[in-house]
Amino acid sequence: MDSTATNALVELVRRAQKGDASAQRELVVSYQHRVAGFIYAMTGRSDYVEDLAQQVFIKMIRAVDRLEAPAQFESWLFRLARNTCIDQLRRQKLRRIFLPFGEEHENIPEPAGAVGTEELDALRHALAQLRPQDRALLALVQEGRSHAEIAETLSTSVAAVKARLHRAREHLREHYQPPHED
Amino acid sequence: MKTEDQAWRELQQHAVAQLRPDFANRVIRAAHGPDAAAWQQLQSHAAAQLRPGFAERVLRAARAIPGVPSLLDQFALSAATAALCLLGVVLVHSHNTQLQEQRNLARWQQLADEAQDADIGQ
Repeated sequence: MDSTATNALVELVRRAQKGDASAQRELVVSYQHRVAGFIYAMTGRSDYVEDLAQQVFIKMIRAVDRLEAPAQFESWLFRLARNTCIDQLRRQKLRRIFLPFGEEHENIPEPAGAVGTEELDALRHALAQLRPQDRALLALVQEGRSHAEIAETLSTSVAAVKARLHRAREHLREHYQPPHED
Repeated sequence: MKTEDQAWRELQQHAVAQLRPDFANRVIRAAHGPDAAAWQQLQSHAAAQLRPGFAERVLRAARAIPGVPSLLDQFALSAATAALCLLGVVLVHSHNTQLQEQRNLARWQQLADEAQDADIGQ
């Protein structure tokens, strides 16, 4: 992001922090597609996208006034998104333990080809084999986040991000089965 | 020997026939992992899940739903509840002790009066 864009974002975040509804709306509109993509990469469920995205942005609106460095807004927002997805996946796991019979109704996987092309199915399948933390890492890289920004989002060091990213990419490649061309 | 060579060739041909025509390309693509287009499709599919008017719904919901109490608020509420319970226990205990003391004093008074009456009688 260049300095003009960064300044514009900082200004927008400051207005949102003061409770300016139009600035809050602009932030939601600006980031909704990217956050939706991140959530889908994390959960692999189309039916979770809108609900979780709404939770993320509600948290954003309520907590933005406590953000001390508006320039770090994007890292902060994706940290909210990551935590929201991980909470959801944990709840899902607990439900599976306590309500084993609900599993078949609650966790119906999206059938191959139901959501898009074979390419997308292959990516979804490969992502589903990874740990949520690794999915978050890869999704953040696709978001264009730098290693330093990812380290900040995940509250870890740049070296740890590089090592984990290397392993996550290896795992993704292991499970990625590209579709046939014919 | 010729038969054996032929058998090996047939085995090889059979094995080759199991590979699909795009085998080499698939291997290369698998080795490189998902390309940018696949990630782009994922992003587009996810974005399409948001119904029109998403931002307005978020803003309305953010104002409508009461906020989740902070950890400090929850701790303060727990501390206040515990303090009230403790106060209740202390008050009940103090009241019971006071009643018991009054009863004991009255009983001692009665015994003292009876003893005094007995002394006078002698």
